[in-house]
Amino acid sequence: MLKIAKDKLPELLKAWAINAAVFVPQEKGGTRVFQPWDGQPSLTLDGGNTLEPPKDLFFPRTETMYRYEVQGKEAGVTEIPTFDGKMVLVGVRSCDARSFLIMDDVFLTKGYVDEFYRRRRENTRVVALACTQNAPTCFCTSFGIDPGRAEGVDVQMWPVADGYLLEPITAAGRELLDQAGELLTATDTAPPPAAVPGLVVDVTGVTEKLQGMFEHPYWTAVSRKCLGCGACTYLCPTCHCFDIQGENRGNSGYKFRCWDSCMFSEYTRMAGGHNPRPSKKERLRNRFLHKLQYFPERYGKFACVGCGRCLDRCPVNVDITRVIREVKEVAL
Amino acid sequence: MNSIQEQMRARARELLTEGTVQMVIGWEKGTFWYLSPPTFVTAPEDCDRLVWDEFCTNNLAKYLLDYKHTEDKIAIFVKGCDARGIVRLLQDNQIDRERVYLIGIKCPGVKDGRQAAALGEEKRKEVPLAEKCRFCTHPEPVVYDELLVPDGGEALREAAAAAEGRFAEVEKVEAMNPDERYAFWTAAYDRCLRCYACRNICPACNCRECIFDRSQSGWCGKQMNRSENMFFAITRAMHVAGRCIECGECERVCPEGIPIMTLNKKIIKDLNELFGEYEAGVDLEALPPLGQYKLDDPDEFH
Ligand code: SF4
Ligand code: SF4
Ligand code: SF4
Ligand code: SF4
Ligand code: SF4
Repeated sequence: MLKIAKDKLPELLKAWAINAAVFVPQEKGGTRVFQPWDGQPSLTLDGGNTLEPPKDLFFPRTETMYRYEVQGKEAGVTEIPTFDGKMVLVGVRSCDARSFLIMDDVFLTKGYVDEFYRRRRENTRVVALACTQNAPTCFCTSFGIDPGRAEGVDVQMWPVADGYLLEPITAAGRELLDQAGELLTATDTAPPPAAVPGLVVDVTGVTEKLQGMFEHPYWTAVSRKCLGCGACTYLCPTCHCFDIQGENRGNSGYKFRCWDSCMFSEYTRMAGGHNPRPSKKERLRNRFLHKLQYFPERYGKFACVGCGRCLDRCPVNVDITRVIREVKEVAL
Repeated sequence: MNSIQEQMRARARELLTEGTVQMVIGWEKGTFWYLSPPTFVTAPEDCDRLVWDEFCTNNLAKYLLDYKHTEDKIAIFVKGCDARGIVRLLQDNQIDRERVYLIGIKCPGVKDGRQAAALGEEKRKEVPLAEKCRFCTHPEPVVYDELLVPDGGEALREAAAAAEGRFAEVEKVEAMNPDERYAFWTAAYDRCLRCYACRNICPACNCRECIFDRSQSGWCGKQMNRSENMFFAITRAMHVAGRCIECGECERVCPEGIPIMTLNKKIIKDLNELFGEYEAGVDLEALPPLGQYKLDDPDEFH
């Protein structure tokens, strides 16, 4: 096990920043988000998880895909250079680390590789930070996630009184720590105990139960209070829906993709006006079925990591843990 | 003791049992002690779900739009701001007064749930008043069919709301130079997720088709970038101009903590200065300044 003193951490980030853009959670307008680190000496790594998930770094809110131009009968397309910079994300929590694996399934498997996502993802090193405390809304352990040790990351960090413990997990992680030189010391300090979230829900059997619930009146009852906004989906680290649209000016324009949300009416509105999900009942049902039934059916895992962001920010307290509990209780 | 909460449950039970109404909209206890989200009761035996505490924050008026095309009569609990939301919807011909039964509550002001979460339950008494209640001038419902009064006498506001300071944030922004102001608003709206929670909770946002649900029209692009976000912000602010009841719900539900009320209040302040004092959603007969025509219209807009 290696250790770095708290006041030396900026120097380590500085070493990483020579070859890569380093992102760390920072305050921005009263909220915590992953921001490029610009060398400031004070870091607030220990302030709980970020309001926005780090998914934006692999799957930006809005991204231009290509430009086009038409001249007479000729049309030309200009590719947008794909991202080839390097990134190091520091302070990723176990829940969000799991979400990267879920996003990988979507964007990199089943026969289609999304180049925009792949380039960013492959060029990024993830340095996880263990949680020794949790928010009341955290329920990662219900999905078998260990807040004290993240999956699929390059380096694992733990907070200790006067600094951080570090353990390289992958070869790339070892390289990162090799850049630290004198900053790290060997120690036999044991990692601190992980957080024990109090919010727990038993998810066993929920997928099977949902398979027989598409037409259940429960969805009417549970959706009454939902506002049909996009807060839950946009703040969710695993929600990955996007729309592709164009912006045209005269003879030229560009295509972009941007986040979209299944909670919006426009999401399923077809040319001609028909909408197969006409009300918030069908939309809310889709959100839960996607996370708890369709995704497990397709990829063998839940598309929820228990980060609690939706529960924390939903204006009307639509609570996925309560939905799971109620789904398991309703009579078929 | 005949608390507001007990009366709430009793009246809801009576109304549903008699068949006077088919649904009661109120609040219930949520996941945590600091959350009392909206609830919809249709069976008399479920009325004990209803609660009244300092976290019954949500303005319920907007939900009536979901039942616009049903035959049901609905009872709804209204605080001061909820009642103004009702007036707002009535003025816009969105709901039928005959189909709603309004049970008024003299509101002592609700508490800030987010700060409550940070303080912890031991300090429940110290939780400050919600931002939206600080300048509330109508804690008593302006319209109701019956009013709940607790046995112990009239509910008192714990912290008196004052109109003073209502425009303090606006004045701060007005005092900035144009560059500072640009930096202030772009920093705020660069964060905007375009989740539309602000629109969806708003009783003044009741268009059948919202411009922001029509991205193909080319009016407002779906890109989450500075220019489209600013266009969204200004358009929504102008669409509720003269109709915003200052319930503060938009700002409260914004996940990004964007100071939406500063924008709304700037418009309210300008309207008051240009067209005379007007409070939206207070008087059903008083038409909104931008919803009427007068020969002596000042014909200018800053
Ligand atoms: S569940 Fe909550 S956050 Fe999600 S759309 Fe409904 S009201 Fe908005
Ligand atoms: S559904 Fe909610 S708790 Fe689950 S991963 Fe998404 S935001 Fe987090
Ligand atoms: S959900 Fe778990 S891993 Fe995520 S922040 Fe909370 S305690 Fe940490
Ligand atoms: S704009 Fe905001 S304060 Fe005004 S009525 Fe709508 S939700 Fe309430
Ligand atoms: S609630 Fe906030 S983040 Fe969402 S659209 Fe409105 S201003 Fe933007």
